[in-house]
Amino acid sequence: MEFDNNSGHSRQISNIRIDRSRLKRNQYTLSLLQEGQRSGVISSQKVYQIQVEMVQVLQRLILRYTQEASTSVTTETAEGIMTSLLYAIDTYTLQYKNPDEALTHLNKESIKDIHSKGVELLRCYFEETKQLYQEVKNIKLDVPVDAYHMTIDESLPVFIKHYDIIFEAQNTMASIDYPLAVDDMRLQGVFYIRQYLERLRIETEFCRFFSLQDVMFVLINFGKISRFNYQIELFNMFELMINNAVFSLLSGGKPDNVRISGIQFEQLNRMLTAAPADQRTKLIHQALDQLQKTLQTNQALIDYIDLYRGEFVQRVNNAAKIGSFETLIIREIKEHEKTMVFKLDENDRKSDIQMRSLVDRILEISNSEEKALFIRRHFVSLHDYLDLLHAGCLFNGDYEALFRTFGDIELAILAKIIFYEKLRDATHDLSDIIEDGIEAENEWEIHYIEFMQQLEDERIKAIGNLIYEINYEDISFH
Amino acid sequence: MNLSDMLNSIQQSHHSNTIMDLVSLNEKTKERNLVLTPDDAKSLVVSRNKVLRDHARIELSNGVLKELIEVFSVSPYMNQEYYVDTLNELQEIFYYLKNETEDKVEDAKLIQLMNDYYNGSCAGSIELLRSKMEEFAENFRRDITLPDSIFKGDE
Repeated sequence: MEFDNNSGHSRQISNIRIDRSRLKRNQYTLSLLQEGQRSGVISSQKVYQIQVEMVQVLQRLILRYTQEASTSVTTETAEGIMTSLLYAIDTYTLQYKNPDEALTHLNKESIKDIHSKGVELLRCYFEETKQLYQEVKNIKLDVPVDAYHMTIDESLPVFIKHYDIIFEAQNTMASIDYPLAVDDMRLQGVFYIRQYLERLRIETEFCRFFSLQDVMFVLINFGKISRFNYQIELFNMFELMINNAVFSLLSGGKPDNVRISGIQFEQLNRMLTAAPADQRTKLIHQALDQLQKTLQTNQALIDYIDLYRGEFVQRVNNAAKIGSFETLIIREIKEHEKTMVFKLDENDRKSDIQMRSLVDRILEISNSEEKALFIRRHFVSLHDYLDLLHAGCLFNGDYEALFRTFGDIELAILAKIIFYEKLRDATHDLSDIIEDGIEAENEWEIHYIEFMQQLEDERIKAIGNLIYEINYEDISFH
Repeated sequence: MNLSDMLNSIQQSHHSNTIMDLVSLNEKTKERNLVLTPDDAKSLVVSRNKVLRDHARIELSNGVLKELIEVFSVSPYMNQEYYVDTLNELQEIFYYLKNETEDKVEDAKLIQLMNDYYNGSCAGSIELLRSKMEEFAENFRRDITLPDSIFKGDE
């Protein structure tokens, strides 16, 4: 349809012409100008004029940046300021849901004014973000998850303290470790942090539907199932809680009963594995709907759960495909009694002076077996053993002689330390890891692997079984 | 977005204004028998843009070039024969110094410093000025790193 026959002079803006798929979230205005020019909504002369005005604003900002002491800056600095300038302009144009409306404003307002209005909007968003931060801080969960606390107590304050609306508005500033269940990493600057905090607040509020004991139940068992120290790992708590709430509903329980028993787990495993994919998907959607109703959630949480739906359905379907819900449904894992030969208490450690004197005496012994016996007589703490292994007082055969005196538990602890990353992956068992070896960083690790490679398969298997009985947090000596 | 390309295309279109701006300084300098033709001014701007590119810097005005002309045109060592060449050399030394001093010294102070050396111990020699300014940059960098290094012994 030809609709512009008699209106060429007026450059009438029509939303039929702008192709939204060509617009980019980052550097939105530039993509809008490009698309506007391509579709004939805005003239090339006007686009050029807008670019000239942008450079004029940049010139003023550079002078402001250098406090009028310098008319030139490094290209890197100029590009950073220009990106910040465009970010503020995008903030203004993005407030119009309709891109045509944004183009109308670009056509009739000066870039200087648009930039100033964008900066004002950014100030408002930044204030809102600070307010949101306080809210998140006030409802913070009292759980021992380092990344969660570090993000709230250390990273986000860095953003609040250093965010620079004029010269680095696009910079997110802080390094955010704690992962959200649903994150949009395409966002930058205050938009990213504001969305991060909005979602973190929703997730935290959701976790607060459950008692702290229930949250801890899920976290501790998640750590045991995943064979890692949940306190130092990067994972999302909201996902764990909502998953278990849904699984509770699917097994006939209440949504707030996230403590899934072994029997419930077996039942769920059978049911979800046997169900056809469409039936399974339907069941999950129904359970999520029920969860949204029962927990008297607010609209923001309902919307957020909807954002998570797709991902969750996919995970359940993947788990059904491989026939294992082991890591998806967090159930109670009972622990066996453990007997440790190494003492793990910090207080058992030797002082530096004691340590130095013992190392000197070890160096005087030339026979490897005698060295090993001396060490076993004088050392009890795992921390001291590790200091000793790093002290450079053992050579070649000394290591083997010492390792020969160790029982399976001690060897298992050392394996847990050396192969921590590999062991997290449930598909690797110790025999495979020993056979393949790894690129060890330290001399004692190389000798340990060599020593283990000489052991019989049965013993390696027994040591391998012990490894999963060890909680890494018990040996967190780093 | 390539800022340099965008700026280049915009600067090209403002080229004639820039040239006129520089030529207008002849009003002040002609009493010392120093005059720039439009071609001279054009060659100075072309050199300025190259020096900026070589030193990875952006400048959106003629501020530095104008200041160099105004300050150095009163030097007893400046003469018409080498006027343009000297200004080109001075531009290069100036932007080199801006980078080497990590933008910590104001434009006006740097130009004044260059002028003091040029008229003083360098006696109008650009080679000597370059060498003095390299020495200055080296000392400057050493001084700004000093507070960190003097406590190294405590580590």
